[in-house]
This record gives sequence, C-alpha cells and structure tokens, in this order.
Amino acid sequence: MTQLILFNVFNGLIIGAFYALMALGLSLILNLSGVINFAHGGFLAIGGYLAYVLIPFVGFWGALLIAPFLTAFIGLVVERVLIRRLYGRDQLYSLLLTFGLAYIFEDGTRFIWGAQSVPYQVPDWLMQPLSVEYFFLTGYRVFMVILVGVAVAGLFLILNRTRLGMRIRAGTLDLETVSVLGVNVRILRTLNFGLGIYLAGLAGVLAAGMLGLSPTIGNSLIMPSFVAIIVGGLGSLPGTLLGGLLIGVASGLTTMFFPSASEAVIYIMMGIVLLVRPRGLLGEEGRF
Amino acid sequence: MTVNDSSSKKVSRRTVLKAAATAGALQLVPPFIIKARGEEPVRLGLDNPLTGTYAALGKNELYGCKLALEQINAKGGILGRKAELLVEDSTSGDAGTTVQKARKLIDRDHVNFLIGNINSALALAMAAVAYEKGVFMIDPGGHTDAVTGTSCHWNVFRICNPTQTEANAVAGTLIRDFGKKWYYITPDYAFGHTLEAGMIKAAAKLGGTRVGGALTPLGTTDFSSYLIAAQAAKPDVIIFLVQGDDQVNALKQAVQFGLQKRFHLAGAQGELEPQEGLPPEARIGTWVFEWYWKQPGVPHVAEFVAAIKKMSGRVPTARTWFGYAATWTCALAANGAKSLEAVKMAKFLQGYHLPPEVALMPNGAFFRAGQNQLIGDLYVGHAQAHGSAPDDLFKVTDVVKGIDISGTLEDTGCKMTWPA
Repeated sequence: MTQLILFNVFNGLIIGAFYALMALGLSLILNLSGVINFAHGGFLAIGGYLAYVLIPFVGFWGALLIAPFLTAFIGLVVERVLIRRLYGRDQLYSLLLTFGLAYIFEDGTRFIWGAQSVPYQVPDWLMQPLSVEYFFLTGYRVFMVILVGVAVAGLFLILNRTRLGMRIRAGTLDLETVSVLGVNVRILRTLNFGLGIYLAGLAGVLAAGMLGLSPTIGNSLIMPSFVAIIVGGLGSLPGTLLGGLLIGVASGLTTMFFPSASEAVIYIMMGIVLLVRPRGLLGEEGRF
Repeated sequence: MTVNDSSSKKVSRRTVLKAAATAGALQLVPPFIIKARGEEPVRLGLDNPLTGTYAALGKNELYGCKLALEQINAKGGILGRKAELLVEDSTSGDAGTTVQKARKLIDRDHVNFLIGNINSALALAMAAVAYEKGVFMIDPGGHTDAVTGTSCHWNVFRICNPTQTEANAVAGTLIRDFGKKWYYITPDYAFGHTLEAGMIKAAAKLGGTRVGGALTPLGTTDFSSYLIAAQAAKPDVIIFLVQGDDQVNALKQAVQFGLQKRFHLAGAQGELEPQEGLPPEARIGTWVFEWYWKQPGVPHVAEFVAAIKKMSGRVPTARTWFGYAATWTCALAANGAKSLEAVKMAKFLQGYHLPPEVALMPNGAFFRAGQNQLIGDLYVGHAQAHGSAPDDLFKVTDVVKGIDISGTLEDTGCKMTWPA
C-alpha cells in the first residue's frame, strides 16, 4: 500500500507539473490584462495540431520548437484583433469573448482535422518506461517534467531578469503608473498575452504525446488549470505552480481510494482553500 | 422602401380572414389534401453527438444515415414521399440538451422517426421521450442492456448489440487464451456499468474472476493512476471498457507504461475510430467489433464500402453501418407496414430480417420479436498495427452468430406493453 501511495504521489507530481504549465500561461494573462482566458484550452489544441502537421516535415523536436511559437503568433493576432478592444471593460466581456473563441477553436480544429483522434508520433525511445518497477516513469513523462521545469525557470528568468519581465511585473501591480512612466502598455499586454499563449502551445505539443490528440483535448485540462490558479493564489506565479502540483497529487491519490471522485476532489480542495484562506495558498497581491 | 411603398403592402384584417377561411375550406377537401400531403417529406430526426468525446463516432453514424437516405430517395422514398434527415447535436453527455432536442424534433419539426443515441444514458432518456410521445425510435449505437431489456418499449428498436451480448462474444476467448483474473477500467455511466456487469457474468460462467476495477469519469484524460492500480492487482487481463477518446488515452498510456508486456490488454467493445487515433504500437489487444469493413465474400459489403469512401474519404466503421442500418430500418418499416403509424411499423418489424444489402453480414440480421433488438453477427479478433490496407487495423479471428450468445427473451428482462 505504501508503495502504491508513493507511486501515486510521484505520478500526481508529473501530471501536476503539466497542469502548472497550463495554469502559468492563464495566470500571466489574468494578472496583467484581467482576461479570464477560457480559450486557453483551444490554444493548447492548436499547439498540438500544429505540431502534428509539422512532425512529418521537421520531426518531433523541430515541431516542439516551432509549434509553440506559431501558436503564440496566433495568440498575438487574436489579442490585437479581438481581445484588445475589451481592455478596461467589465471582465465579463472578455470572459464571454474567450468562451466563444473556445468553441470556435474546437469546431475549427474539428473542421480541419476531423472529429477523430489523430495518431501523434513521438520518438520511440521516449515511449519506454525507465524501469520495470517504476513503470509509470516513462521517458516521455520524465522529459515532460524536465521541459516544464526549464520552461518555468525560463519564465521566472524573463520576469525577473529582463526589462520586459520587470514591466510585466510592475504592470501587474499598477498598470496606470507603468503607463504614466512611458511604457507602451498596449505592446506590453500584447507581448504578455503572446507569452501566455506560448505556454499553452508548449503544453499542447506535450499533451498530444501523452493523450489522444482530438479537438477536445484542451477541455478537460482547462478547469484543473483554473483550480490551480485559485488554490495557489491569484496573482502569484509560484502559487500557481504549487497549486498545479497539489491538485495533481490530490487527484492521483483519490483515484486509489475513490476513483469516481478523482475529478471532484480538486474542486473540494478549491472550496476548502477558499473557505480557509480565500486569497489562495501564496496569494499575495503582486507577488511573482 | 418609402412610406408609401410600405403602406401599399399593408395586409388588411379582411385579407387575413379570407386567407384563414380559404385554408380552413381546403382542409375539407380530402382528395386534394392527401395529394398535397403526399408532397411533404417524411422526416427522420437524428439526435446524436456531434461534439465532445463521441463526436467522431457521431459523425460516422451520420455518414451512414446520409448514404441510406440517398439510396432511399433514389428508390422512391418512403411511401412515395421524399425522406428528409434533420440533424441535432445531442452533445456527448448532457441529458438535458438531448431531451430538449428530442422534444424539439418531435413537437416542432414533427419528425416521423427519432434516431439516437451513442451515449447509452442519452439513448435511454430519448427512449423515454419517444415512448411518452408514441414516436417510432431507433437507437443505432447506445449499447446498455436496458434499452431493449428492462426498459424496453414497443416503439424503441436498436441496431447495435446489448452489452451482455458483446461480453458473451469475447469472454470465452479471453479466458481460454489469456487467463481468468481480470481487472476492469470502466466508464462511470450506464453503458460502462452494464458492460462490466455483463463481462463479470460471462466470465463467472467460465470460472473467471474480477480482481479489481476502477470507474472512470467520462472524458478522463489521465489514466495513469488507474493503470497503477491495475498493475498492483496483478491480473491476467486488463479489460478496457472505456470508449472514444477515453479509450485512445487509456491505451496510449498503458503502452507507454509497457503494461502490454506484462498483462494482456483487451476490451469487450472495440471500434475502428479509436484504433485510427492510436499510434501503431498502441494498436493491440483482443476486441469485439460489431461490424467490420473487410468481409471478403459477403454480398454488398464492397459496394457499401466504396459508397462511404466516396462520401467521406474513409472506410466505413461499425458506427457508419449502425447509422446506415438504422435509417434503412425506418424506410423498410414504413414501406412494409404501408403506414407511418408507429404501432403498425413496430408490429411489422417483429421478427423482420433485414435484406442482405442492408444487413451486410455473413449470417444476416433480424429484429427479435418481443424485444426489438437487431441480432446479427459479432467479430472477435485483435487490433493490428498495420494490415493489408491503411484502414485495416483489426484482424477478425472468429465470426460469432449473435443468436448463439444473446440468451433467451426472458433473460433480457424485456416486458413489452403494446398500446390498446
């Protein structure tokens, strides 16, 4: 039993890292622009499908490099054409817009690539378990965790060590003052949105290797990502990371004892956090 | 348009009254009305998933329906009238939406036939509406036993097999070739529950036991925790009862974990759609298919495959045939009964054998009287990474006659009450 619990904790951490990657992108956009991006799952699916199209030409590694950037580019276009118009209005407007976009993306991918899952090939050597005993530690999962780690580290470096990152952090605290100081807030928001969508695209390329790639791939991943943000604390990227890992572990452990509650448990967890600590575990406004 | 233009086209109260009186008088002239109504199309309402986890299956059933409709109309339609298909997206799991769409099709669109649903729970919900309204309904692809079992209705027919029949088809092969201890990964809704119960029952008769199982919510993406529990139970066979995208996710992850090297992987209901979505290395295991496109020597199958390929660009799956047979059954029932009255059509179909060009099976298919269940052949075999053609992903090893494994009418629990 102890071994089984340990297995599920490790496995939960792997899945949680993935939720965290999704949630970090969501959180970036929410923190600076106040947009609750319900289309994030749709961008994830686009990332996966772009990689699927690219793999025959540039291989898995090339697709892993290119597809997230292409997804981010689509995100930039969407931000400039649609989302930008809603800044400053009630959050409900952008929520409704992205909610609609999520459906458009789902139907769009279904129209182009069909409703059926498509076979998505990752290198064979990644598809093996690393040991017979720890069979759930496959090469792909370990690679995924490492890549998520690199992406998170890169994101924190960008936010803490670059001019753009510092402006994003400052904008999160007080956008008006940042604007008065001469920073082009429009461009800042656009770049920040693109960065968030890049993470969604990266999550899509990774998810497609583990799950079946279908137009609905993002649907079941979007809600845990929102929960990760709320559990970790709005406004806190480390909190989002922690929230993602925690819900992954909680869901994994619940599967052992009460499988049909494995989805419900993350919402129960969110409810408890909101009751006990409404700002979330690390939810200090402005903290990154 | 100017104000004068507008006023000149005003409809007066007198005109409305005249029009109403004329329409009323027309109703009193039966021969003309009958002729006029003869021009009205016969409507078939499809309430099936077009979005969500069952979207791919739903789309293939739709292709089958469309091909059947083309053929029906080319052969003179239904009772000499053109047949028309109205399509609604039931969603993959929202019973409220499904019921609302079914009521809309019946009450507003006045469909003569109701067709659906892939999701068993939704099929049951639709059957309740159809029974309440007395509308002829056919369930192409919702497998739970109750549809033509304990919840059967005189006006509800089904094309696909009950879960118990599928379980009976594969249980013997699994126990004989792979072992008696089974672990189940089961979708947590009506279909999964009855399919697992069916497998347990079929296995128990042959000495098989359930060493564990997990109920997974519909739309589960990460199966790793369930697979960890499955390997800990040390079964001989892991039985995957999940369907659609869930099956793709579960099998993909099982193969990534290397479980196929330690246990046999199998399922009671296999379909071509998930196999097509899997990478080659994950196309493994023993399955039951309810129809397969590669049936050398079976009359009319090649023509059907060619027609669907022309329409969709792909070979037909069992789902395509479900939709095809369901739509044709509506036309055959009405033309055979020479009526669109649900009771007359339902009575006509009792014990009715589908013509070979619709049955498309080596031993034919018929509706069992008193149950309204189509009984045909089932195809037991194993998934294959590559076959003789790009879409040949299943190797049939045994064709099982449905009647040999369907039990008796009493076993089904169906007690049908016909309207007086």
